[in-house]
Amino acid sequence: MSEFETSTITEQEDDLSGRFLTFYVGDTIYGVELLHVIEIVSVQPATHVPGLPPYFKGIINLRGKVVPVVDIRLKLGLEERAYDDKTCCIIVTMQDMQVGLIVDCVDEAITVNSDQSSAPPMANGKNARKYIASVATIGEKIILNLDCEKFFQDDLHP
Amino acid sequence: MAIDPSMEPMLEMFIYETTTLLDQLDEILLESEKSKNLSSDNINEIFRVMHTIKGSSAMMDLGSISTLAHAVEDVFFIIREDPARLEPVSEALFDLVFQASDFLKAEVESVQNTGETTQDPGAMIAELEKLAAIMRGETVAPKAPAVDTAPAASEAAPGGAPDASDKPGKVRVFFEEGCQMENIRSFMLLTQLHDVCDRLDSEPAHPEKDSSLSAEIVKNGFTVLFWPASATDDVLRVIESSVNIKTYELLEETAAAPAAVATTGAKPTAAATAKAATTEDAAPAVLPGKAKQNLLSVNQVKLDQLLDLVGELVTTESMVIGSPDLRGLSLDNFNKSSRELRKLTDELQDVVMSIRMVPLSGVFQRMNRVVRDMCKKLGKEVDLITEGGDTEVDKTINEIIGDPFLHMIRNSMDHAIEPPEERLALGKPEHGQITISAKNAGGEIMITIADDGRGLDKAGILRKARENGLLTKAEEDYTEKEIYHMIMLPGFSTNQEVTEFSGRGVGMDVVRKNIERVGGTLSIESKQGEGTTFIISIPLTLAILNGMALSVGNSTFTLPITSIRQSFKLGSEQKLIYNTDGSEMILMRGECYPLIRLHEVFHLDTPVTELSEGILIQIESGERIACVFADELVGERQIVVKPFPPFLGKYEIKKSGLSGCSILGDGSISLILDANSLMKANL
Repeated sequence: MSEFETSTITEQEDDLSGRFLTFYVGDTIYGVELLHVIEIVSVQPATHVPGLPPYFKGIINLRGKVVPVVDIRLKLGLEERAYDDKTCCIIVTMQDMQVGLIVDCVDEAITVNSDQSSAPPMANGKNARKYIASVATIGEKIILNLDCEKFFQDDLHP
Repeated sequence: MAIDPSMEPMLEMFIYETTTLLDQLDEILLESEKSKNLSSDNINEIFRVMHTIKGSSAMMDLGSISTLAHAVEDVFFIIREDPARLEPVSEALFDLVFQASDFLKAEVESVQNTGETTQDPGAMIAELEKLAAIMRGETVAPKAPAVDTAPAASEAAPGGAPDASDKPGKVRVFFEEGCQMENIRSFMLLTQLHDVCDRLDSEPAHPEKDSSLSAEIVKNGFTVLFWPASATDDVLRVIESSVNIKTYELLEETAAAPAAVATTGAKPTAAATAKAATTEDAAPAVLPGKAKQNLLSVNQVKLDQLLDLVGELVTTESMVIGSPDLRGLSLDNFNKSSRELRKLTDELQDVVMSIRMVPLSGVFQRMNRVVRDMCKKLGKEVDLITEGGDTEVDKTINEIIGDPFLHMIRNSMDHAIEPPEERLALGKPEHGQITISAKNAGGEIMITIADDGRGLDKAGILRKARENGLLTKAEEDYTEKEIYHMIMLPGFSTNQEVTEFSGRGVGMDVVRKNIERVGGTLSIESKQGEGTTFIISIPLTLAILNGMALSVGNSTFTLPITSIRQSFKLGSEQKLIYNTDGSEMILMRGECYPLIRLHEVFHLDTPVTELSEGILIQIESGERIACVFADELVGERQIVVKPFPPFLGKYEIKKSGLSGCSILGDGSISLILDANSLMKANL
């Protein structure tokens, strides 16, 4: 399945901008740019690595590549939740590095037109991280699009 | 000029050969410049290098390379005839030849990358010609006695008079069978001869114009009529040094020399004479052409593939031998064969690894050059001292550390070492010193780059970090080490101005990233006013190690066999005692060893916390010895070491006692313990 996903994504590489993969964390819908998404895999047991922040669940073997995985709930400061058959791991890439995001459920790949997207709410003191790149409203759904680099800012910069 | 597609198979060979030659050239130049003397051997060698480059690039149809090589060759031709002419222009010449060497390197690289040459050597050639003119103009020595460096053979046939005699020499050349493009080769030969002859004629004339002439040349040979500029022997030597020529014969002579018939390769005796004639030309250095039979240049991609395959093979082997289907069965024959298999795969690994090992001296050599250039440009005087250049590392490591090295040396030259006046004022020796040394230390290579310059400016670093918003805690909370390590943050550059050599915004962070990519670490030590030392430690190989698997709770770790002294259960011979600070130690045979409980240092849940229930492993690294406590020993296995994902780079896992991870036969991941850092972190 994952192979299939990868190939379809590369085929459409040209018009990937403005396309997002949406997923649920609790009742909230988040999106990541498809440009950053490599594939979606099922959750597999990760090898715990000592000395990492708790949201790192460990490292997994992705066809010979060692990839760290992050539980997005813990990273967002939410309650941890037992994994079920809908729990997925989205492998994203940034700055030539890969990381897995464990999410409650993957929703769909969507195209967001500029008129459907708006700037994120002004960050107040508490949410000063500003890792939401934009907010898209499509039909009933409100999608918070993550800025991957900012989301992992703390991990990328020593 | 693009490369002709039919030449492509030869391109790689050309690039390899030319790069080797240019490196050789640099080495000679540096050595000569240092001793302020060009020995006749070296002059001949440089001449030969340029000559070969000229020939092969002309064949590849790379005009810019061949014309420049030609110009350099011309200059050295003059020097070769009369070394005394070098004196007045020595310095300018070295600079120019260095420039030419750089230019050629750049061009070769661009050919490698794009298949085309990009720059015009015109200006440089003009300079070289000017130099040649100066040398020629100053001493109009008679040309006749100038052949003192000519080989023994020329004594039998004394150099012909420089005035072109009316009677031409005639040589018939036969090419090696099946070497193809005989017409082009003939043309190349003519081009080469052009330098040593006043006039040339050939039969067939203009062989390059018609490829159908090849057949004729194969059949009848290629006849050259020449009016030599100096000695006929010079002409013959050029013919001898050309590639793919099987035999040649001299048909008529200009001077009254015996009509020698020399063959290369066909008859052993004749070959010996030919060899004797060329020995003087051939330098003591290793010539790519000479070592052909024993050395093989292999595409590195293939080597990488081989290594990967061996890694896979080892993993699969463990998978087969440790297969759960076999559990509980007693399989004598199977075990015997599997031991045999293990022996073979071990050997295979050793061979593959040894193929990939290269000495660091190449990288060090390049640094010599950088230091020399920067000394000139910056007006500083720095001696570069290299130690342990014969230390061998994996090819990949060798390549990856080249750039970081360059950067660190540049940094040291540019920022750390003070100008001579300032040094004298500080009571330091006028000459600065940069020392690069490499040595094997356990399973690692330790490379230090030390300078005796200013040392890192702590206040400056802090100020800069503050300006760039890089501080995450109060300034006074930073330790010295933490401050030094801030220079490795992205976009950090302490020098006020951006110079040609360093400070282009990509700084030490790139250096660190490069080193981490091969699983190494970089640390900095510095003393204000006394100098800075960068210490790089890199695992010896990226590859495979024998390890003992340990389990702690749900986790398994692998400990390299090389760092294990023994393992034991706590018995009556050993005693648990407490140090004054409350830390635990094991008393065994009259000696105390500190105890490291893995479940405690890595915060793991395990039912085994009583020493008597688990297993103790005595580990050592360097001078230190300690005991490690784990739940149980799982067994020995071979693993392929992989570095931690770069994404986790920030967390410095390697400092906590883990050196990397490895994928086991069943697809799960095991963490590799590192005795050295484990003891450092916990004792």
